[in-house]
Amino acid sequence: MKYTYYPGCSSEGTAISYHHSALEVAKILGLDIKEIDDWNCCGSTVTSSVIGQFAADVLAARNLALAEKMGQEDVVATCSSCYAILGSVNKKFADEKFKTNANDALGKDELSYSGGLNVRMLLDVMVSDVGLETIASKVVKPLKGLKVAGYVGCQTVRALREFDNWENPTFLDDITRTLGAEAVNFSHKLKCCTGAMALSSPDVTISAIYPILKSAHDAGADLIVTPCPLCQMNLDAYQIKVNKIYGTNYNIPVLFFTQLMAIAFGLDRKKAALDYCIVSPNNALAGFGA
Amino acid sequence: MTEAMAKEKATVKYDSQFTKKVYEMENGKWVKMCMQCGICPTTCALKEKMDLSPRRIIQLIRAGRKDEVLQANTMWLCTSCYACACRCPRGVPMMDVMHDLRHLAVENGINHNSQSMAEVYAKDVSKRGRIWEGGLTLNYGLKIGLGNFFKMALDMQDIGKNMMFHRRLTLLPPKGVKNPGKLREVLSRAAEIAKREGAH
Repeated sequence: MKYTYYPGCSSEGTAISYHHSALEVAKILGLDIKEIDDWNCCGSTVTSSVIGQFAADVLAARNLALAEKMGQEDVVATCSSCYAILGSVNKKFADEKFKTNANDALGKDELSYSGGLNVRMLLDVMVSDVGLETIASKVVKPLKGLKVAGYVGCQTVRALREFDNWENPTFLDDITRTLGAEAVNFSHKLKCCTGAMALSSPDVTISAIYPILKSAHDAGADLIVTPCPLCQMNLDAYQIKVNKIYGTNYNIPVLFFTQLMAIAFGLDRKKAALDYCIVSPNNALAGFGA
Repeated sequence: MTEAMAKEKATVKYDSQFTKKVYEMENGKWVKMCMQCGICPTTCALKEKMDLSPRRIIQLIRAGRKDEVLQANTMWLCTSCYACACRCPRGVPMMDVMHDLRHLAVENGINHNSQSMAEVYAKDVSKRGRIWEGGLTLNYGLKIGLGNFFKMALDMQDIGKNMMFHRRLTLLPPKGVKNPGKLREVLSRAAEIAKREGAH
């Protein structure tokens, strides 16, 4: 299975552990993924408020034009926001007028895009293409007894609504169970963590992530897994603030689902990129040699 | 209350030019599509913190109530979580409308921390093609003013330290695109096209 890979800016910084663990896990699963040469930032959801909707769309489309040159049909994103943006811009290319105008602008960099690619999310590729059976076949350390809250977040299943059930998603929990762990049921699995607002309005973020952490904690989760860089960062880095402000004592590690897969596949803690976690996962994963 | 004050209160300022202007924006057509069913506020992640609900914003745009719309915090609190867009029976991408409204608010001299962040972000993209998260924090701090920056740095020092300690904020920018000049040409051409097509 061959894919073109769009890492996104957070793969080089705050979500570096996602990038590393995803590539390691992909290797084990036999996924052949090649990074888009010279990719640029997708613009996230905020750029259009500054440079306008169309210019923001063209910014994202530049990546699709570059990806098309790589020769594979599927572009896979790890970040939920990148997936949301690239995917929705990809859909706009079905409109001839949009396509002509976008290619007019892209022409300034000798680029053009036909609109023929599929934009995919890694979580979807894991379940729909690789399949749970193949994932199960690679498990060497079943995570028996580990209680995992699968925090899907907002954009992952809602932005494009092209995989999983967007009101009651199961893909993340399916992977957790395939790895031998228990997927706990918690009420806030789809609630927004407020994303990039963490820096501009931290109070809003803290009040939004408190109930998410609380619901995972009350459901008895040993750790949280997520497919989104901002969800991971907010729940992991801001947990200290929640404890301070709400007088709680949460100590719930927040991992990317690819890190949990890496552990179950028997990879070492370096390959699972565990040292980037702010809330230490050592206790939670102690029984699994991580 | 004097009679004049009562009169002032009873008079609704209606600005049809404002309505027209919003309709002409890139996502303005969606404002016309709204049927005021109220699904968006019931699904909105941050409705409790908003001055006006997303549904009310649309209603007030149509009523030409420029000041109330532009001074509301609603568009700044939209996190683009897509919940309303998913459930909207007409498929209105409310977050895109909110982004247009931010743009319009700035044009009218109203700004917000969220927009300062977005501006720093967009500037980094056009400079290097990619974001440098560490630099973003610094530049955002400079944009909101040194006093606010120090306050933020003090409030957030525990988080910042943890991020640095766990090597998740790089001290130097990662590499950008090979030719950011070309990317800027693409973006400025896109802006020209958007203008030609009637967007603001």
